[in-house]
Amino acid sequence: MNPDALIESYVAEVVRHLPRKQRTDVGYELRSLLTEELRGRVGDSAPDTAATLDLLASFGRPAEVADRYRPAGFTIIRPADAPRFAWISLVGVAVQWVITLIATYTAPATGAGDDWLSRLGTWWLSAGLGAFWWPGLLVSLSIVAAVITARRDGDAPDWTPRAASMLDRDHISRPLYVLAIAGALVGIAALVAAINLAEWWPGLPQPLLDAFVIDADFLATRAPWALVLWAATFASMIAVLVAGRWTRTTRLLAIVGNALWVVLLVWWVAAGPIFVQPYADSVTKGCLLLVAAICVLDLVLTARHLRHGIPEPAV
Amino acid sequence: MVAIAKHEQDLRKGVLVLAVLSQLRDEQYGYSLRQALAKRGMPIEEGTLYPLLRRLEAQGLLASQWKAENGPPRRYYALSATGAELYRELSESWASLATVMSELLEGEKR
Repeated sequence: MNPDALIESYVAEVVRHLPRKQRTDVGYELRSLLTEELRGRVGDSAPDTAATLDLLASFGRPAEVADRYRPAGFTIIRPADAPRFAWISLVGVAVQWVITLIATYTAPATGAGDDWLSRLGTWWLSAGLGAFWWPGLLVSLSIVAAVITARRDGDAPDWTPRAASMLDRDHISRPLYVLAIAGALVGIAALVAAINLAEWWPGLPQPLLDAFVIDADFLATRAPWALVLWAATFASMIAVLVAGRWTRTTRLLAIVGNALWVVLLVWWVAAGPIFVQPYADSVTKGCLLLVAAICVLDLVLTARHLRHGIPEPAV
Repeated sequence: MVAIAKHEQDLRKGVLVLAVLSQLRDEQYGYSLRQALAKRGMPIEEGTLYPLLRRLEAQGLLASQWKAENGPPRRYYALSATGAELYRELSESWASLATVMSELLEGEKR
C-alpha cells in the first residue's frame, strides 16, 4: 500500500468518529499535516510504507485521535459509582433469574416433550433474556440524569457548610420523624379496627366481616406480644425524637427490636392460623413475611452502620 | 519502577496550552507550529497538538483560516482577542508559579 493511500485510509477512519459537519475540514487538514509530517521524517528520501505506518502508530488509534478532537463530553456513570452500579445491575439480573427459574421448574408438567431442557430454552428466551431490562433501565436513567446534570452544571448548588451538614447520618429530621410515628400509630389503629370490624361496624357486608375473623388461639396467645414490642418500639422512637439524632445505644436498641419483631412475625406465621378464612390467612402471612424481610434488611443496614467506623491504623 | 516518562508527560500537559498560545501570536499552521515548539525545546506529539488546535478554536481562543501560500491549502491559526487575553493572564500565572517552584526546588537543594 502506498503512503498516500495509507494516510487517506487512516484519516477516513479518524473522521468517521467526528460530527458530520467537521469531517471534510478536519480530514483535509489532517491528511495534509500527516503528509507533511511524513516528508519531514524521511527527509530527502521517498516515504515508504514502514515510515508511514510508524507515523500513524505514533499518532494514535483513530478513535482516540477523534476523541481528542471533540470537546470533553459528559460522564454517564462516575468512576466512584461504577462498582455499585455494576453490583446493582448484576444482582438485579441474578435475583430475577433465580425467581423465574424456580417458577419455571416448579410449574406443573404440560405433557410430552416438556423436559428440563425445553423448559430451560423457553425460560432463556422469555424471562432469562428479559431480565436484562433491569441494567438497560439503569443505564437509561443514568443517561437522563447525566444529561440533566450536564445542562444544570452552572446552576449546581454550592458545596456549603450547610450542605456538608447533611452528611451527618445520625441526624434526624424531627418533623419527618413525627410524621413517621404518626403513620405507625395510624397503621396500628387500622389493624385494631380490622380486628374489631364485626363489633364496631356490624352493618358491613358479611363476606368482608368473615374475612377479618381472627383465630381465637392467635388472639389469646401470639397477638398480645405485639403490644409489648409496639410499646418498646415507640419508647425507642420517642428517645430518638427527643435526642434529635441516633446514638449508638438507640441503634443497638433498634437492632434488638428488629430481631425481636422478626422472631415474633415468624412465630405468628409458623405456629398456626391467624385468620379463620384460609385465603385471608395466607395473604396476611405473605405480608407478614415481607415485613419480616424488611426488618431483617433494616437490621443488617443498622448493624453495618454501627460497624462502619474508621479503624485506627496499625502502627 | 517509577514511570518517569508518564510523570514528565503530565508535567508538560499542564503547560501545553500556554506553550501553544505563546507561539500563535503570529499566524502558524499545524506542522510549522510543531516545528517551532520542538525547536524551542518543547516537542509536542502531533496526535496531541493538531486536535488541541481545533479544541482551542472551538473555545474561541484561536481564529483560523485556510490559506494557500507556496503549496497546498493549509489551515493557519492565530490568537483571537479572547485567546490573547488568556495568554496574558496565563503568562502572569506561569511567572508566579515558576518563581514559587524555583524557590521550592532551591530549598530542596539547600
